[in-house]
Amino acid sequence: MNKKVALLILLGLIVAPVAQAQIKHIEMRVEGMT
Amino acid sequence: MKQHLGRQSGVQNVEVNLIDGKVQITPKEDGHIDPLQLLKAVYDSGVSVAEMDVIARGKIVKDSSGSIALQIEPNQSFQLAPNDLSSGLESLAGSPTIVTVRGQFYKKAEGKKKKRDASVPLKLLILEVQKKE
Repeated sequence: MNKKVALLILLGLIVAPVAQAQIKHIEMRVEGMT
Repeated sequence: MKQHLGRQSGVQNVEVNLIDGKVQITPKEDGHIDPLQLLKAVYDSGVSVAEMDVIARGKIVKDSSGSIALQIEPNQSFQLAPNDLSSGLESLAGSPTIVTVRGQFYKKAEGKKKKRDASVPLKLLILEVQKKE
């Protein structure tokens, strides 16, 4: 049982940072807008 | 243009400032957003992009050609344009460290009228490394 819990925690530590990776914000400057 | 951009996948919100021509795009929390598609959507709406900046989190990886890239998702990564900041991140390639960077995908050259070639992949020029986790 403890082994399973430890495995889940380990898996969470591996997966969590990847899940947080993302494009957070995009800013553009455009020309020719009326 | 706002509607064009708002329809793109992964876009949560679009704010357009008519005075200075700035467009702020907030991606969805867990959505996949493609900067190349956004550039295309802007051109399709009849205006041209002078500059495109981004704040992104991801892992530093080496791609098949040996160039370093920022991996946002398993199937989405952007090659880094070589500069001092990207060289400083090279040692993190393959490590689990997540970096948050501010970078530039596109800047129109002075006096250049021709739009960018859409077949050329975007390269991310890192302007600032904000965080390493």
